[in-house]
Amino acid sequence: MSTQIRLRDCAKTFGDGTRALAPFDLTIEGGETIVLLGPSGCGKTTILRMIAGLEFPDKGGVITFDGDDVTHQSIEKRRVGMVFQSYALFPNMTVAQNVAYGLKVHGVSREESDARVKDMLEMMHIEMLADRRIDQLSGGQRQRVALARAIAVQPRVLLLDEPLTALDAKLRVRLRTEINALLRKLGITAVYVTHDQEEAMALGDRIVVMQKGEIAQIGTPREIYRKPQNPFVADFVGAANRLDGQMRDGRLHIGTHVFDAVDAFDPRHGAIIDQGPVELFFRADGLSTCDAARAHVTGRVEAVSYLGERLRLTVSGIGAQAVIVDTHADDVIAPGADVHCQINPDRLTVFPVGAGAGNSAANQSAHAVS
Amino acid sequence: MSSVQNIQEGRSRPSFPFGFLRRATPGAGSPAILALLMTPGIIIVAAFFLIPLALVAMRVADGPDGWATYFVILTNGRYFASLVQTLLMSAGVTLTALILCGVCGLFLVRNRFAGRNMLMALLTLPLSFPGTVVGFMVIMLAGRQGVIGSVTDALFDEKLVFAYEISGLFIGYLYFSIPRVILAVMASAEKLDPQLEEAARSLGAPTWRVIKDVILPGLMPGLVSSGAICFATAMGAFGTAFTLATDIDVLPMVIYTEFTRNANVAVAAALSIALGAMTWAVLFAVRCFVGSSADTAARGGA
Ligand SMILES: Nc1ncnc2c1ncn2[C@@H]1O[C@H](COP(=O)(O)OP(=O)(O)OP(=O)(O)O)[C@@H](O)[C@H]1O
Ligand SMILES: [Mg+2]
Repeated sequence: MSTQIRLRDCAKTFGDGTRALAPFDLTIEGGETIVLLGPSGCGKTTILRMIAGLEFPDKGGVITFDGDDVTHQSIEKRRVGMVFQSYALFPNMTVAQNVAYGLKVHGVSREESDARVKDMLEMMHIEMLADRRIDQLSGGQRQRVALARAIAVQPRVLLLDEPLTALDAKLRVRLRTEINALLRKLGITAVYVTHDQEEAMALGDRIVVMQKGEIAQIGTPREIYRKPQNPFVADFVGAANRLDGQMRDGRLHIGTHVFDAVDAFDPRHGAIIDQGPVELFFRADGLSTCDAARAHVTGRVEAVSYLGERLRLTVSGIGAQAVIVDTHADDVIAPGADVHCQINPDRLTVFPVGAGAGNSAANQSAHAVS
Repeated sequence: MSSVQNIQEGRSRPSFPFGFLRRATPGAGSPAILALLMTPGIIIVAAFFLIPLALVAMRVADGPDGWATYFVILTNGRYFASLVQTLLMSAGVTLTALILCGVCGLFLVRNRFAGRNMLMALLTLPLSFPGTVVGFMVIMLAGRQGVIGSVTDALFDEKLVFAYEISGLFIGYLYFSIPRVILAVMASAEKLDPQLEEAARSLGAPTWRVIKDVILPGLMPGLVSSGAICFATAMGAFGTAFTLATDIDVLPMVIYTEFTRNANVAVAAALSIALGAMTWAVLFAVRCFVGSSADTAARGGA
């Protein structure tokens, strides 16, 4: 029922020579919600627009919907629903007319269209806004209208480009939950672009992390979070702390301490790392404060911020850059104090030094084309 | 439930037509200060507009036919024909200019190509030309010694000359109007949101629908305002007509002839008032029509 999208060998070079996307393969299963995640300019929107039919891949690229080649089909024919960050609602029409527009274009009868519009507005909880003009709506209401308009025509695919970025944090979370429920209910294939990691985790069946026009990793939220395949992904999904270490005979050495049973996997070769210098990436939970006797490392507190349920310390002197460590909210710690920490080896992600991200694209494709 | 709260925060704006008056700083917003600030404007309007207008309107009564002169200009064939001709020509010029400039302006905004700046400079060149210069150029083009005449003479053995009649005037006014309209169209076209078009297309709209439902409504304010200026200018312009020929029967020429040659002040005055009233009526009607059609488009969804 829902449409499977396949992109094969799709690259994108713009007219001015900008290489926005290196050739990549991606399969999005019917009914799946895929999130494209990555920093600004990495090519998320370009992929979305290629699926929509607003951009076309370089020669050699093929896009199929359920096996039908749509590579050269223009957007009007593809039956895709689009939701933009800027809402893009028609200002010369009311809410109801916006939602009805696609139905009108498709020649749906007046009665049927009215009924469908009513359903859509109810589904988005905006039935009382039907006759409002667009400039009389708040941002959150506009985005609801945009969603209703996009799904009213029952598209094969729903494409959302940072739909919540223009909204305030609280509303963003609420609408995110609603969108999630909506996508599950409709069972529609959806591609969602964001640069917000939390949003990606909350919405995606799978997440595609992108870096500079390449796919850095594809995986479920859990895989991306727990097993980032390269330093870029690790950093991007929040494991921003970094320490140096050494692998010797399969054991991890940090300073004078030795740890067993650390998963040291080189994504470039798909092999276990036995020997050589490594980089360790971890979140705040990779280190925990302790007393001096049991300490693995000791640093100096640079800054303290109170997060309510815990205290967040910025600590220098442990790694090359300052690291973030969390401690109990009730601890009394002032900047300048020494802090002793234990390393939690199972919270570390280990990469061989120089395992730059993005160079594992070939490896990724194997994952992607399932 | 919580989502409902959010929805109700949507504010409904009262449609206060003079919103700009309220955007002033709080101090300047009080009626007394506003009235004070408006005094110079009121004085100027009264001194240079209302009073002369009233005087002109009164002069009509001094003629042999008295107030009936207003009636005479409608029944007299020559005057009435001139009224109709002026109206039709101005409307024709306006429509042609809007269509031409609508297409060109959109193209110029959407495309970057070599020589674009040159082309824009050329298109906006006539901005500074007075009507007489435009008339002169029309003669060079379509006059007895004009380019078109010599070309058609060489090709078909027949000289095509149309500078000294209404079609020459049409060309002149069109040329005169293009820069004004094209600048207004380009200003509106630059503000069009490309994502609106993409949204419409994603919903299945073919090109003509995108033009009708997204592009034209977006350009409408610019088209209406520049079209109004274009129409009013064509109704009242004099220099071009005067340069081309003294016997083109457009209203400003007739007024000039009645006033200076025939010393028929009453008719000249009546025609002047008629010219003003007609222009105003047409512009008013257009505004009402466009306003209400936008409204019905917004409500009825036809
Ligand atoms: N029409 C275009 N012409 C030339 N280069 C373009 C064009 N559109 C995008 N690019 C370039 O392609 C790259 C990818 O752009 P894209 O819009 O896909 O990024 P993005 O991941 O969506 O970023 P953001 O999060 O800021 O929206 C960027 O370097 C951008 O400058
Ligand atoms: Mg983008």
